[in-house]
Amino acid sequence: MHRLFGKLGTLESRFYLIFTLLFFATILTMQIISTRFTINSLRNSTLENNRLLVNELVNQIDTYIESMERISDAVVEDRDAQVFLESSLPESESSKFLQDRFASYIRARDDISSIVLFRQDGKAISGDGTDSSDFSEYRDSPWYQNALKAEGKTVVSTAYVQNLVPGNYSWVVSLSTQILKPRDKSPQGVLLVDLKFNRIKELCESLVIGEKGYDFIIDPMGNYVYHPSLQLIYSNLKHEPIKNLLPLLENEHPLFRVDGRNYLTAHSERTGWYVVSVSFDSDLVTGWPYVQLMNALIGLVLFLIVGMVTNFITKGITRPLRQLQSVMKSVETGEFRTAGNIDATDEIRELAREYDIMVGRIEELIDENILEQELKRKSDLKALQAQINPHFLYNTLDSIIWMGEMKKSDEVVEMTSALSRLFRIGISKGSELIKLRDELEHVRSYLTIQEMRYKNKFRYLIDIPEELMDCTVLKITLQPLVENAIYHGVRNVDYEGLIEIGGYRENEDIFLTVKDNGEGMDKTTMSALVTEDPERQQGTGVRNVHERIRLYFGHEYGLSYESTIGGGTLIRIHIPGNRSMTT
Amino acid sequence: MKYLIFFIGSLAVALMIFLALTFSFEPGKTDELDLEKPIVVVVKATVAGQPMNFWSVVQQGINEAAKEFGVEVNITGPDHERQINRQVNILNTVIEENPPLIILAASDYYLLAESVGVAEEKGIPVITMDSAVNSPYPVSFIATNNVEAGIKAGNEMNRLLSEGGDGAIAIVSHIRETATAIEREAGVRQALEKQIITGTWYCENDQKIAYGNTMEIMKDTSVKGIVALNEIVTLGVAEAIRDSEASNRVKVVGFDSAPQELAFLEEGIIKATVVQRPYNMGYMSVKTAVEYLKGDNIAPLIDTGSVLITAENMFQREYQELLFPVNDE
Repeated sequence: MHRLFGKLGTLESRFYLIFTLLFFATILTMQIISTRFTINSLRNSTLENNRLLVNELVNQIDTYIESMERISDAVVEDRDAQVFLESSLPESESSKFLQDRFASYIRARDDISSIVLFRQDGKAISGDGTDSSDFSEYRDSPWYQNALKAEGKTVVSTAYVQNLVPGNYSWVVSLSTQILKPRDKSPQGVLLVDLKFNRIKELCESLVIGEKGYDFIIDPMGNYVYHPSLQLIYSNLKHEPIKNLLPLLENEHPLFRVDGRNYLTAHSERTGWYVVSVSFDSDLVTGWPYVQLMNALIGLVLFLIVGMVTNFITKGITRPLRQLQSVMKSVETGEFRTAGNIDATDEIRELAREYDIMVGRIEELIDENILEQELKRKSDLKALQAQINPHFLYNTLDSIIWMGEMKKSDEVVEMTSALSRLFRIGISKGSELIKLRDELEHVRSYLTIQEMRYKNKFRYLIDIPEELMDCTVLKITLQPLVENAIYHGVRNVDYEGLIEIGGYRENEDIFLTVKDNGEGMDKTTMSALVTEDPERQQGTGVRNVHERIRLYFGHEYGLSYESTIGGGTLIRIHIPGNRSMTT
Repeated sequence: MKYLIFFIGSLAVALMIFLALTFSFEPGKTDELDLEKPIVVVVKATVAGQPMNFWSVVQQGINEAAKEFGVEVNITGPDHERQINRQVNILNTVIEENPPLIILAASDYYLLAESVGVAEEKGIPVITMDSAVNSPYPVSFIATNNVEAGIKAGNEMNRLLSEGGDGAIAIVSHIRETATAIEREAGVRQALEKQIITGTWYCENDQKIAYGNTMEIMKDTSVKGIVALNEIVTLGVAEAIRDSEASNRVKVVGFDSAPQELAFLEEGIIKATVVQRPYNMGYMSVKTAVEYLKGDNIAPLIDTGSVLITAENMFQREYQELLFPVNDE
């Protein structure tokens, strides 16, 4: 399951799968139910029609039998029949009349096979003139026995082969009536009217349902009166569920269903028969494949529509999510896009809003961070420039004291005022940048003090074009270099040292140089001036200058050195020109 | 694109399920054969207008089965059983039409074998009915077990003779080379093993010849019984007995159940008749054909049975449809 969903990992496909399955199951279920319902109602309505048909068949049989009963009633009430039954003569005129009348009945109704009136003494009159001596032993026949039992009521037999006259066989249904004397109800004889069974068979065959349907007739005991394939039944090649049908016969509309066959029964009051109409489902619901196909098509169309709607809905849900996702992706590239007002449901809009707030907060934090960094850098700068060698101050103050003791008041004044100027410029209103003029003033004060301290040890030369004087430089950049030139350059040589401060413009940039003719440095000493090495105190001032310039102006700026042992040192300051006076 | 495939895929699955549903959920499901051409039955004789004629009853059974199993069946054949060459021609024509199956009632055991061989070459299955053919090819043979029917006739003859004194017995047969005649005679002879049989007469299935044969047989006064092996022979023999008023002296056991035979039976001229079940034969042949075409296993030999009918049981309800035509006008 998890692996399946792993493959269908997107929200869209999951939504789609689940919706599709659900709707498919629903539609399928509805299809099955509706198909069953349609077919059932189709079958039921057909069966209802069939029921009418069977009832109609029974009515016709009843009407038919009834019309025959009227004939036997007419015969019983016939005066000539009365005379024949009363008399004991073998032949009489009335028996001749009677025979003619029977013959005319048979002629008029071609469905009557024979009419025979039997007298108690065995004498009989038949419509076709057959002599009574020709008759086989009829007194054991069921129709005769049943007529005696019925005592005057007309009895209808089942269908059978009448063998009253040898060699003359016909399928008949017999109506037999015992004739009783009106006065004392004593038996006088039996009237037999044989109906050709064909008529009933034709009726049964004419009212069948569907291609395969057929009708059969049983009596209340379950014996066959008629069945179109009775031979097969007697040979056990065919079976009818008579046992299942019999208990149902009491019902008003007995219907028995088995193996796609429907057994509808109707009761014939006149004959006591049950007409069973067999119809086949395959005949009843002939249109069912179309019903199925129609339903399947409707189902498919529904499914299609549902599929498209699902697709639409799913897309509606996931599209804003994808939008949001692409917005979020922008963070990776460092671009902070906000989602803004997404066209989506409340939840996702809320999510987008929260996201926007979050991104806004992150941006604020980043800005704050940048500001803090800036502040920190500035504080670092301050810290770096603040490092003025305290030894210089002691030494200077010692020099002043010494000069004061020597009563060299002019020199004391000069040195003290130089020191004062040095500090004033050094503090210089807290501003980081100063004009080169002021910076030179600062270094000049410093040089004045040092020149006085190291009398005749060195001299200095400042040669900077006037046009550079108003350029801005980072303050206290020259002084540490000059300090370096004195302590590590000219101080230790036995000839007169010379410190030259120069400057020139190259393109937009300004270069200031501090050159000495002192003892010079080897490569390691020189590199120690630039690389950070907390172990060595030497050159801290120079390094700070380098750091400060780079912090302030960028990494392309800073200091560069040229030096050889015994050949002096040249330090070049590279700063941008024309920088406006900011912070 | 992925969703489009998914979408079309699920639609296809839905379509398949719906279609499967359409074809599997059948309320009135019938697994009927759907044949392009009708099954052809070649009978021995197609005489119309004789309701209780053996072959017309066979046809009723065929039609009943065709209706029940929902197949189309064409029935063809010569006008009379004697027309053997005509039947061979008819069978050859039928084979050319390539029917899905042929049901054959062979008039001659040997003469139709060649045509059955042609059917075998063309792969048309053949079922024989009533009379077999000299070929192992037919997939099933639906017939009365004629040996058994002959035994029934012979046993009845035994019983009759034991009532009225011993005597010789003669057999009148219809056609020499027909399987039915050969087998019935064999059955009769088997049952009458202990009796004297004077001989077998052949009448070429002609009632007049059978009449003449009987007259000749009766010249031998020791003959107390005649067994007639089919309907036509039985009628010829019975007429001769009636005309000679010899029904008490010579007892006749016949075959089949023509209305006139039944009259003779009721009159006592014929003592008994062995009746086949032609209706069942027709029905079973089509039923077997349908089962075979569906691929079911079928029995190579199907006995449709026979009944001994006497004057005593001829009006019993269960034999009435067998003996008397319902649609007689």
